[in-house]
Amino acid sequence: MRLLRIITEGVRSLRINKLRTFFMMAGTIVGIAALTVIMAIGKGTEKKVMKRLQNFGPRAIMLIAGGGKDLPPPDITVTTLTLADAEAIRNQIDGLEIVTPMAWDFNVNVTRGANLHQATVWGVEPTWHEAWNWHVADGEGISDQDVATMAKVCVIGETVRRELFGESDPIGERLYINKVALTVKGVLESRGASPMGMDFDSRVIIPITTAMRRVMNVNHIGAIRLISKDVSLIPRQAEAVRSLIHQRHHITPPEEDDFRLITPMVIAQLVKGIASTLSFLLIALAALSLFVGGVVMMNILLISVAERTKEIGLRRAVGATRGDVFAQFLTESLAVTIFGTILGSLLGLGVSVLLPKIIQMPTIITWEPFALAVAFALLVGTFFGVQPARRAARLHPVEALQ
Amino acid sequence: MIELKTIEKTYGSGDTATPVLKGISFRIQAGEYVALMGASGTGKSTLMNIVGCLDKPTGGQYQLDGADAGTLDDNALSHLRNQKIGFVFQQFHLLERTTALKNVMLPLIYSEPYPEDAEQRAEKALTAVGLNDRMYYRPGELSGGQQQRVAIARALITNPQIILADEPTGNLDSKSGLEILAIFKRLHRDGHTIIIVTHNEEVAEHADRVIVLKDGKIEQDRRVAQPRDAEKEVDERIGREDAE
Repeated sequence: MRLLRIITEGVRSLRINKLRTFFMMAGTIVGIAALTVIMAIGKGTEKKVMKRLQNFGPRAIMLIAGGGKDLPPPDITVTTLTLADAEAIRNQIDGLEIVTPMAWDFNVNVTRGANLHQATVWGVEPTWHEAWNWHVADGEGISDQDVATMAKVCVIGETVRRELFGESDPIGERLYINKVALTVKGVLESRGASPMGMDFDSRVIIPITTAMRRVMNVNHIGAIRLISKDVSLIPRQAEAVRSLIHQRHHITPPEEDDFRLITPMVIAQLVKGIASTLSFLLIALAALSLFVGGVVMMNILLISVAERTKEIGLRRAVGATRGDVFAQFLTESLAVTIFGTILGSLLGLGVSVLLPKIIQMPTIITWEPFALAVAFALLVGTFFGVQPARRAARLHPVEALQ
Repeated sequence: MIELKTIEKTYGSGDTATPVLKGISFRIQAGEYVALMGASGTGKSTLMNIVGCLDKPTGGQYQLDGADAGTLDDNALSHLRNQKIGFVFQQFHLLERTTALKNVMLPLIYSEPYPEDAEQRAEKALTAVGLNDRMYYRPGELSGGQQQRVAIARALITNPQIILADEPTGNLDSKSGLEILAIFKRLHRDGHTIIIVTHNEEVAEHADRVIVLKDGKIEQDRRVAQPRDAEKEVDERIGREDAE
């Protein structure tokens, strides 16, 4: 087939001039690689956000003691958040399904006989289970009765069970926290480790009253978890909570808050933060390199047309039509961008695989970027290739041969 | 086979119009060996371009093998060049970094239908010009005479009726030039129509007929009574060198 022979001619001239071909290709390689990475980061981040929101609770608001802008770990030295704050929120903020206060302490020694394990201790109300959608796998959870009577009971996480009880049944057995003996009444469902590597199952849940009076001896709490009746209410509820606590803690902005309000929106933004900055930079890089690369390619092709005037004249003399010459030069630009796309996709794929390992940037590799890359390549190749090809085709054979 | 009737070619228009060919008429029969002569600026290159269908006349009529070349479009002329005319240029015009074999096969790319035995044909053409041991050499590895022989093989590959050579010996030493002329002599004997454009009297002496241009017109159109035989001269030369 004639067209196939002419395409072969175009590809052959690229092979003969490898360095020139590489320069024509460079922009496409970088641009397509950036495009591939952007898409992989976008997909990866989206998934990470979804997962974090699922962990956090899509309808949840966390009010955590201690100021600052970051996510937990919370500041346990701040003593201003109290059960009365939780009560006030419960009474004054509409549209909340659950308001559950929590007292907490970290890296607490939990012992049973000679066995010792460091765990997080949470003082909770019965609604805690519902608020975190985290129930017992075995035995019973914390009840109203337990809270009312300051009962010396606890529910343990899977890691605590394994470390302290091994194979034996922990229900009804005793363990000690700060010399207080607590009877195990349940074992929580296992949740494994957080994305940051924190073990969710290394915890002990006790009634909040027991925690504050018997174990920790404090009058403040660590956090209040709110579950909204509807996601759409959350922004307004968060603001209402903020001004309520401002008022109760006598804080007048711009005075710094002594608490943090964390909503699903804050989580999403935080997770997306770095990724969107990086994506923006990469989009700029992709657009710039595809455009500059296209212009460079076009100029090299134009120079190449000028350099190869005699070759074009000869081809015309031995029977090439204008269309044949046009096809040959368009083939060169398309082959450059298509091959550049293949290399760029491979480079982007490599970077996408390495990113999670180097900077913990989540990436997911899908087929879409490659389809998009091929479309871009054909577009760039055609857009920047037509002009040189047309110039080559328009050369008059007599003038070209002189 | 080739018939020109009052061919005119004028470059530019209006006040700047420059007439180069001012009514050229002649016929060339199949199998003739013609030298087209003239000093530079007499329009012989322009005439060659028109005969070779690389350019169109601005006046008159050009019939090639019964077809009116003046009425054909660019694609049809390209096809005509491919099938009926083999070009040989002073500058050889070979593709750099490309083997002799690939260079010779170049016109076939634009041939319909593409011959199945393209490579064998190219080998045959190279053998015919005495380059059977240089098929995979690139132009840079060949002497001028050898490069011109590759160009002749390329001109022969589509088996055209006419070989159109523009100063084919202009860039060669006398020995290589004579060898090229010997090849033309043999092609002529085999029945090809040869047209050589030259300003060199010695080269013209090898043709059967000489057409001399002056100021865009034919000054002279004569038969050569006793054309020189390049083939014989090459043999004699080889004989002399052997004797020495």
